[in-house]
Amino acid sequence: MKVSFKLNNKNVTINTDPMRRLLDILREDFNLLGTKESCGEGECGACTVLLDGKPVTSCLVNAVHIDGKEVMTPEGIAQEPLGKLLIDCFDETNAVQCGFCFPGFLVTSYHYLKTDGEKNLNKIKKALSGNICRCTGYQKIFESVMLACERN
Amino acid sequence: MKSIRKIDAIPKLNGSWKFLDDYSYEEMIHGQLLYSTCHHGFIKKIAFPDGYNLSEFTMVSAKDIPGENIVPEPECDQPFMAEKEVFHFGQVIMGIAHPDRKLLREFISNTKIEYEELSAIIDIKECLENQKNAFGRELTIDHRTGKKPDPNWIHHHKIYYTPHQEQAYLEPQGMIAVWQPEDKIMFVRATCQCPFFVKEGVETIMSDTIKEAVIETSEGIGGAFGGKEDFPSLLAGITSLLSYKSGKPVKIVLEREDDIQITTKRHPARIEINSWTDPETKKIMKIDIDYRLDAGAYQTLSPVVLARGVLHAISGYCIPDAFIRGRLFRSNTPSNGAFRGFGAPQAFAAMEAHIDDIAANLKVNPYEFRKINIFKSGDEFPTTQPILEDHLSDCLECVIEKSNYLNKLKEFKEWNKTHKDKKGIGISIGYHGGGYTGNGEKVLNSEVKVVIKKDATVMIFVANTDMGQGAHTTLAQMFFEAIDHPREKCLVQLPNTSKTPNSGPTVASRTIYIIGNLLRKFAFKIKDELGFENLEDYVASNQNEFPREFRMNFVQDPSVVFDDENYVGVAYKDYSWAACVTEIYYHADTYQIELTKNWSVMDIGKVVNQKIATGQAEGGVLQGLAYGLCEFFYKPGYGRMHGFTDYALPTTMDIPEINIEFIHTDTPIAKGLGEIPMDFPAPSVRNAFHNATGVFIDEIPLIPERILGSIKNLELGI
Ligand code: FES
Ligand code: FES
Repeated sequence: MKVSFKLNNKNVTINTDPMRRLLDILREDFNLLGTKESCGEGECGACTVLLDGKPVTSCLVNAVHIDGKEVMTPEGIAQEPLGKLLIDCFDETNAVQCGFCFPGFLVTSYHYLKTDGEKNLNKIKKALSGNICRCTGYQKIFESVMLACERN
Repeated sequence: MKSIRKIDAIPKLNGSWKFLDDYSYEEMIHGQLLYSTCHHGFIKKIAFPDGYNLSEFTMVSAKDIPGENIVPEPECDQPFMAEKEVFHFGQVIMGIAHPDRKLLREFISNTKIEYEELSAIIDIKECLENQKNAFGRELTIDHRTGKKPDPNWIHHHKIYYTPHQEQAYLEPQGMIAVWQPEDKIMFVRATCQCPFFVKEGVETIMSDTIKEAVIETSEGIGGAFGGKEDFPSLLAGITSLLSYKSGKPVKIVLEREDDIQITTKRHPARIEINSWTDPETKKIMKIDIDYRLDAGAYQTLSPVVLARGVLHAISGYCIPDAFIRGRLFRSNTPSNGAFRGFGAPQAFAAMEAHIDDIAANLKVNPYEFRKINIFKSGDEFPTTQPILEDHLSDCLECVIEKSNYLNKLKEFKEWNKTHKDKKGIGISIGYHGGGYTGNGEKVLNSEVKVVIKKDATVMIFVANTDMGQGAHTTLAQMFFEAIDHPREKCLVQLPNTSKTPNSGPTVASRTIYIIGNLLRKFAFKIKDELGFENLEDYVASNQNEFPREFRMNFVQDPSVVFDDENYVGVAYKDYSWAACVTEIYYHADTYQIELTKNWSVMDIGKVVNQKIATGQAEGGVLQGLAYGLCEFFYKPGYGRMHGFTDYALPTTMDIPEINIEFIHTDTPIAKGLGEIPMDFPAPSVRNAFHNATGVFIDEIPLIPERILGSIKNLELGI
């Protein structure tokens, strides 16, 4: 099937099996390796991307779902002003440990900053509740997002 | 204490830092493992599905192994692949590779294996209750006086149970092997903690069909927590064999379901404690601990976990008459292995629970009772190792004050009188001996290498991996801070066994403690040897001396003398100490515990990088709390977990506010940090639940079903 979508602000078209996972399309066809596979079943958020501006787990999204839509990956977000701000905050607090979960956290936090952005711990916890991190205990992640809210 | 930023944070965030699955090689094909779905039995037939062209697949099994079919481990008893008989669910039978990852997955899931089933033990209690299942060497620490307990002393007897715990590193296990026939080198790219273990694994299975195995880690290692200590050796062996047979680079990345089902977990434990306490002085006078671990089907590294377990079994108390017995028990489940804490979390879960049991019985508050019994300088461990500092009791005092523990005890008692829901507060303490146990560091004889280049860049070569702890940032920091060298001119190189000397595995809280302190000394030594004030100036004016290589070995302190036969002597040179207080809110209607606050005070010696250390400690404390609250891997009647859907990991919504403080930081020596945060928190949850409800639960985690079962017959006094 022919699938056309906007990927990190660029129009692209691919020919693919309609059931192919968005995660595989990004990693295999576009070499966008920032989107990670950890659980493969929608539980961990490591593969989170924005689909028409909303965070989705790309391991559960298939090619048919993205036709005509807009996809933003961690690589794309890292180029945006708010993405840059978040990266700097995560870096400043030394929040990043193994880092495998972080591209996913970047995407979700970016979405929070764009759609709400209030420096409110409970709201941030809720916004990030679909992302699992095994290393950090989450505290430094909250701290970073709070910092980004403050500086935005 | 400078919190310099991590070298790898930005590339990890923007996706450019490469983890194992982000590497590919020309003509690379994909591999997967075909493993046993039977707990114990003979393999009768392997039936591949129809409709596939078998010639497209590369397959290896035990009979293809040119070398030895035994994974090198402290106890070499586990084969890479099963021969005729399988001894546990998840035992690898074959490695299979194909160019198409998805097709391979389908092929394997449709492959049917027939077995002749034999009797099997999969239930944890069935394994640990029956003494006939004990295997391997029994360890005892005998510090008995030979005297009978005084008849006035109060006897307490309890059995405590702890569950499996899954490391749940977010990056699954993975390996790439690239066979290079021209020079007979097996190159392996690994996500692992111990490149030299992997090397030994590959060289064992391949034997002299290869000249050498060269292991290089991926840039990013997406978490490990012990889980990537020994399993990578097995995985690398099979991946290498597939590459050798196919002549192509082979990548295996485990699916989460396979990873969770077949790799190592924390050992479930049954710990039985008999203690005798003098009711007058409130001092524990005598103790007897029977420490049992479910090792799984093979011993592998369990003997070493057992050693650490018995050495931490008494927790932080001075008990004049002590006997500790440790044994491994066999079951038909995958071998359990390393997980942050390595036998110590089980020990503290039992002993710190027991302390609260005795305190409740004697009607002393848990803090007072600990204060009376906690060991002080001048006391000794049951191994006779002298206690040289009071830092453990300093941690306890500090956390009691910070958490306002004594006032909260009163406050919660009042509040609970008029509420159906309950508030509770609990204490626990712990410690962790840094580095390998006993004579281990002497045997390891770690070596580090430094190359100083013509532009005064310092390249540090160590085998220790950065799997998220920030080790490569902190290790470099320890070197450049010692000689005041610019940060950007001091870099730890990616571990590669052909370039990096063997500075030992990344385990046992030894990276900063052993290797970091060694690098610091090394920096001073090079400075003395060359006689410079400023390295950049020196290199600039002595260009012909550079590039130059330096090497240095770790020398164990002579005070570390340990009798490994009798478990007497100094088991660890330095201990990290800790104490915590946890507050909970108990929802009576749903039988749920909500963690509200935790204060953890630790002595890890010098803190090299405050933010990195705090972050690592926060993560460890949460793993420890979750061990007490929600994580378990096996449930009778349900079996073992399958992935992140049924294994309950804490999310952002489940976590308390965690407050970390480091004390006694004004010292040149950085002690172990990796494991201590995981060791002690779990029992504080259980003790807080008792404080809230008056109910003791002797098996963690405190999940609602277990709470419901325990309080059914008890009135909560509302
Ligand atoms: S990999 Fe998609 S949610 Fe975990
Ligand atoms: S940093 Fe390792 S899982 Fe989040």
